[in-house]
Amino acid sequence: MKFREIVDSPCGLRFCFESLELSSGFARKTLLDKEMMTDEKAVSAAYDTLRVYADLVGKERRLVENVQFKLCGLREISGTLSSLKDGNVLDDIELFEIKHLAMLGSDVRTDLKYLDIPGIDIEYDKIIDILDPDGLRIGTFYIYDTYSQELRDARRRLEADPDNEELKDDVMTLEDGIKQNLSEMLRPWAADLENLMSALADVDINISKALLMYKEHYVIPEIGDRSMIKGMFHPEVKALLEKRNRTFQCIDFDFRKGSTSTVIGANMGGKTVAMKTLCLMQYLFQFGFAVPAAKAVLEVYDIIQFCIGDEQSEKKGLSSFAAEILRINNVIVSAGTGKRLLALIDEPARTTNPVEGSALVSALLKILNGKENLALILTTHYKVDYAGQCWKVKGLVGGSAGLRMDYELVKTDTNDVPQEALNIARELHINDLWINEAAMILGRM
Amino acid sequence: MPFVGEILKYRSVSIVGLAKNAGKTECLNYILKRLPLDYFNVAVTSIGIDGESLDQVTSTAKPEITLREGMFFGTSEKHYRQRKLLSELFDVSDETTAIGRVVTAKALSEGKVLLSGPSSASALKRWMSSLDRIGIDLVLVDGALSRLSTASPAVSEAMVLSTGAAFSANIKDLVSKTAYVVELIGLPLYCGPEPEARISSFSDLSGETIRECQVLEVEGALTDRLLQVVKNELQNGEKELVVSDFTRIFASQDLYRAFIKRGGKISVRMKSRLLAVCVNPVAPNGIVLDSDVLCGTLSEKIGLRVYDIVKNVY
Repeated sequence: MKFREIVDSPCGLRFCFESLELSSGFARKTLLDKEMMTDEKAVSAAYDTLRVYADLVGKERRLVENVQFKLCGLREISGTLSSLKDGNVLDDIELFEIKHLAMLGSDVRTDLKYLDIPGIDIEYDKIIDILDPDGLRIGTFYIYDTYSQELRDARRRLEADPDNEELKDDVMTLEDGIKQNLSEMLRPWAADLENLMSALADVDINISKALLMYKEHYVIPEIGDRSMIKGMFHPEVKALLEKRNRTFQCIDFDFRKGSTSTVIGANMGGKTVAMKTLCLMQYLFQFGFAVPAAKAVLEVYDIIQFCIGDEQSEKKGLSSFAAEILRINNVIVSAGTGKRLLALIDEPARTTNPVEGSALVSALLKILNGKENLALILTTHYKVDYAGQCWKVKGLVGGSAGLRMDYELVKTDTNDVPQEALNIARELHINDLWINEAAMILGRM
Repeated sequence: MPFVGEILKYRSVSIVGLAKNAGKTECLNYILKRLPLDYFNVAVTSIGIDGESLDQVTSTAKPEITLREGMFFGTSEKHYRQRKLLSELFDVSDETTAIGRVVTAKALSEGKVLLSGPSSASALKRWMSSLDRIGIDLVLVDGALSRLSTASPAVSEAMVLSTGAAFSANIKDLVSKTAYVVELIGLPLYCGPEPEARISSFSDLSGETIRECQVLEVEGALTDRLLQVVKNELQNGEKELVVSDFTRIFASQDLYRAFIKRGGKISVRMKSRLLAVCVNPVAPNGIVLDSDVLCGTLSEKIGLRVYDIVKNVY
């Protein structure tokens, strides 16, 4: 699974991606093309690297800003490099690109000399010497007179007689010969230069990840055999609330493979946001990002599946029920593969009648119950069987300013669903006639 | 050396032609020839040419610009490869135009180059800000035909307008059409309270809004259709339209005049300085206007000096 494929997941990954201060378009592309890590060692190595960069960002902000500024000049020159590898003669624009890349690499290497950056140590001096015969060490390029006395003389003659076609031809032939020579001399480093380009994109990505971690107060999670999260938050929702001068209430949660967690609770109790946050954290974790929480231990999964009602499938012409049921069916299929699967299902079967709906949810819980590679987290308004570990939103609590919502999730032994819809409707100042009538029907007036 | 001294006071100047063959290239070459370079870094580019290296109308090659040693220029990869001068590469952008990425280089010898720079006003702005690293004092932008947008004050601070027989073969008509553009360039800056309503598209427009509001901000283009509707409401009270800048006005001259005559007002948010008007009395179809009469009449009409830089070697 590539980052590109999940960046628009309804969990809100796009927001984190756009919060990254990437310097170059190439780094952006590189990140989008990264594969999700499903190996603990790879995740662990990614966090080791991130720790180094986090340390750097914390201590040497100036230097980091300087490197970021330089990395704005990173360009993707894969075309030029494959052309070089294929034995072609490069023209002056392509030679310039190579010089530019090599000088950028050398600059960044000097700035970050204490960091271990795979792929960045190449023979800069040899490459740059080829393209900088005057030893000026500036990032511009042309076919310098210094390359050949003959060229220098031919250019002088042309300057004196600018319309002489024969002289123009002479100069061009000499320049072509030099371009061929330069290409031959550079060819052995084509692969090194390709690696350098990726290495610089990785530096850009790692700096942005570290800055994001500082700016948004994310943490580097530990890797464990179960997931335990303290004080998690959803960055996008948090930002929205802060805009309105409100604070996001962080919550705790834990789950593990081989178990089912069912989240019940009032409407507007933050169940969906909690599911989105869990999904987002898992993706960020498996792409080596710091995660939005105060403290986290997370477990690596092979597959992450997030089922939430979204408009996309409705646009494809499926009814919301059909789209949802198909997505959940994929979970059942994946659960049978034996791969480590994290499935997050938000209010399954909510769009159908409650009688069949609760039967469907109970049945789903029953057939997925006890699968040892599956961690299933599900939210529902139905009273269901086989609920596993039940979590309940604390819900409306009294306070000095009237009722307010407490979003905390607490473990509970009962699977009784709370009946707070009418109270919440009253808080929203919904038409009294209607709500009182509903209460009467419930026989609670 | 008229108006070249004036150009040096600005950081960005666009050269805009009112028609093909109106003499814009001559005008640009004229300026380039006279700019002092010893203590001044000049960069020149053109707003994209839509991927054609040949003029689609006349099938003649697009005119090349003559650069002097030391000048910086921005052009597409394709035209960089075809250049007829020695130059040093400074940057290759990662923004692509229809004919490749934009290359920034410095001329090391005098020679000719086809300019085909960034293809939109916003890309042009980005290119101009990328020049900060090099330390450029003045950017000259060759605005292509029907791309008055380069003259937008959002892109360049000042402009030189070139007009000529190719725009109209009748002196009276040419003067009137040119004077209209000059008048639009000279529209006053809006200075009043926040406008009561904003119109971003014609469908936003309700008769009621127009009737009730005295000042209307036009967020997109001011078209004939919109102007007509507002004009009809003038009988019910004063109206002022505020547009972003003169390049957003696409209304015909007749309608504009009728609107103003009935007491309507148009003002702008950003204003560009018009430094000079150059004329080319020769049209490609062979018509030659009397240069002195043309310069004299136009100058009188617009109250600015008008130059025929081909005939009069200033």
